[in-house]
Amino acid sequence: MIKVDSLEKSYAGKKVVEIPALEIKTGEMIGLVGNNGAGKTTFFRLLLDLIRADKGNIQSNDNDVSKSELWKRYTAAYLDEGFLIDYLTPEEYFYFTGKLNNKSKADVDDFLKSFDTFFDGSVLKSGKYIRELSKGNQFKVGIAACLLQRPELLILDEPFANLDPSSQMRLLKLLREMQSQHRMTILISSHDLNHVTDISTRILLMEKGRIIRDLHTTEDTLKELEEYFKI
Amino acid sequence: MIRLLLGHQLKAFWRSRNAGKSIAIQIFIGFITLYLLFSALALGFFLQKFIADMFPGEDPSVVFCGFILYYFAFDILVRFIMQDLPTLAIQPYLVHNIRRSQLISFLNVRSLFTILNLVPLLVFIPFTVRVIAPNVGLIPAIAFVIAILGLTFFNHFFILFIKRKSIINSWWYAGFFVLIAAFVAADYFQIFSLRAISSYVMGKMLVYPALAIIPVVMAIGAFWNNYRFLLKNLFLEDIMRKGKHRQGTEYSFLNRFGTIGELMAIDIKLLFRNKRARSILLMTVVFLFYGFIFYKQTYLDKGMWGILLVGGIFLTGLFVVNYGQFLFAWQSGHFDGMMAGNLDIRTYIKSKFVLFTSVCTAILFITSLYGLLDWRLLLVQLAGYLYNVGIHTVIAVYFATHSYKGIDISKKAAFNYQGIGASQWIYTLVIFLIPMIIYLPLSIIFNSWIAMIILSVLGLISLLLQDWWVDVLTKQFILRKHRILEGFREK
Repeated sequence: MIKVDSLEKSYAGKKVVEIPALEIKTGEMIGLVGNNGAGKTTFFRLLLDLIRADKGNIQSNDNDVSKSELWKRYTAAYLDEGFLIDYLTPEEYFYFTGKLNNKSKADVDDFLKSFDTFFDGSVLKSGKYIRELSKGNQFKVGIAACLLQRPELLILDEPFANLDPSSQMRLLKLLREMQSQHRMTILISSHDLNHVTDISTRILLMEKGRIIRDLHTTEDTLKELEEYFKI
Repeated sequence: MIRLLLGHQLKAFWRSRNAGKSIAIQIFIGFITLYLLFSALALGFFLQKFIADMFPGEDPSVVFCGFILYYFAFDILVRFIMQDLPTLAIQPYLVHNIRRSQLISFLNVRSLFTILNLVPLLVFIPFTVRVIAPNVGLIPAIAFVIAILGLTFFNHFFILFIKRKSIINSWWYAGFFVLIAAFVAADYFQIFSLRAISSYVMGKMLVYPALAIIPVVMAIGAFWNNYRFLLKNLFLEDIMRKGKHRQGTEYSFLNRFGTIGELMAIDIKLLFRNKRARSILLMTVVFLFYGFIFYKQTYLDKGMWGILLVGGIFLTGLFVVNYGQFLFAWQSGHFDGMMAGNLDIRTYIKSKFVLFTSVCTAILFITSLYGLLDWRLLLVQLAGYLYNVGIHTVIAVYFATHSYKGIDISKKAAFNYQGIGASQWIYTLVIFLIPMIIYLPLSIIFNSWIAMIILSVLGLISLLLQDWWVDVLTKQFILRKHRILEGFREK
């Protein structure tokens, strides 16, 4: 699904992403881990053509993401609040996202019903614009808007960071369901080693822009990661 | 303590992102500020001459006294629009070991640093020193200056109070403007004369200097009232603002435009729900009345169609100018989302054209009422309209693809230079120059009407080529997409 070829991106002379080669297959569930500044978000932005690579390219279904817009049809992403139209109500935002993906209002309403427990009653019909919601609820809006697109490729940047423990569990469950039902390819970055090893089939460990380890998740993976992150 | 906090404010001013980034704009704002202050000072020094010229034979002191309360009444209105509420400045300090009363004093002192407090002193003191002091003596002159200081500070704290109240309850907002309107109307229809009152009150002040105590007491009262209010509401203010229940809206008439309609709905909601954008709407409505200024009977009688055409372009194109100068920057807060979403760029660009064309068309219909003044104005406005939808929109989008500065749409608009760069200045210049470059030579070679028809035809041709323009501009946009995104993210 994704093929990265000699990708490089630097800021002020410092390489922040340097990936010679990487292949991600359809249906894989990838966990991207690494300390702050390892280049996770930058890599995601490159994947979404939000920044220009200095060298190399990323192919999504054999199309260079920076040359064609085809990837947009099957990709959904939520990196930060910059993806939310904050002066809309959550419902308006969902309908808007639905419309862009050819989903009618009824489709969206239908979909949102399955999110009732995830939203925990504080997102829908809250009488607030998205900008007035708490950070955690904004995140829920962003994630739900991604999932309602039924994407083939889902990219989430630290989805667990802003969620309360129950919501984290619910999200894990949702992601698993989506993945098994729709063979979704999922890329998430996280600082939560437990969750990320729990859910991923493959872990990429980044350090200073490079992928220094590429692990297929086994029972030992968590230990190995904890070993790496130990001071 | 207050000094320390003020020191932080000074740092905040010099270290703000805007300060370092665009020195040219800082210099420009500094220049404008200096110019305003200098004008105020010059007005103060030459006031005597102005009064002598405009009110020959009258006692300048009396005229001057009649003018003072007018000034302060107007000052209230200006302050209501322009004066900042530095409330947010204390947010980081709330959790620290600083007493509430100290924070409030800091807020009050901090608020005093506005150019609006300097202007009355520059205008009134020179006159007082040059004309009033020699007439009435030193003590009354000093009392007079104290009275003016009192009025200035009264206005200052009074407006802070009113603004804070109207944030919590918007009826105060409406009430304030109704009151001002009633006041202006009463003065205009001579139910009472502010000039006579001002003349009487300030005249008395010169005779009995002790009366200067009244404005001083008023100022202290306003200060105290504001202080008390803050003490009670310091923590509530931000919470109460959020109490409003938001309702989703749907513009069903946009449904048949598909994705483009959806994007337009987003733009329309942006205009209605964000502070800086709302002022664009307000301005667009206010400027609809500018026809009464542009379309003067003398221009019509003398057949000065060039000037009238500028008016026509201005009236039908003002929304495009105002919205178009920040076109993509309005969405800088969620531009990442727009670009990563399932939305091809061509559709996005096209939606901007459809928005412009729709609004211009609506404005054309509304302003066709000016046809009642003279039917030929309809032709002038039609020419302006065709230029705007055909050519102006293309220029607006083209310049927008060169604009890399994001804006915060929740901030107020007056004197807000965030996001303004060279491309905005050039853009505004270009869109008024182009029609003149087309019109003027043609109107000299042939005549005004032929020139206007040619301008209209060019606009129409360009309008018919719109889909081609969209393709061209989409390519232009893609060339600079990453730079725009980066700039918007930096905000």
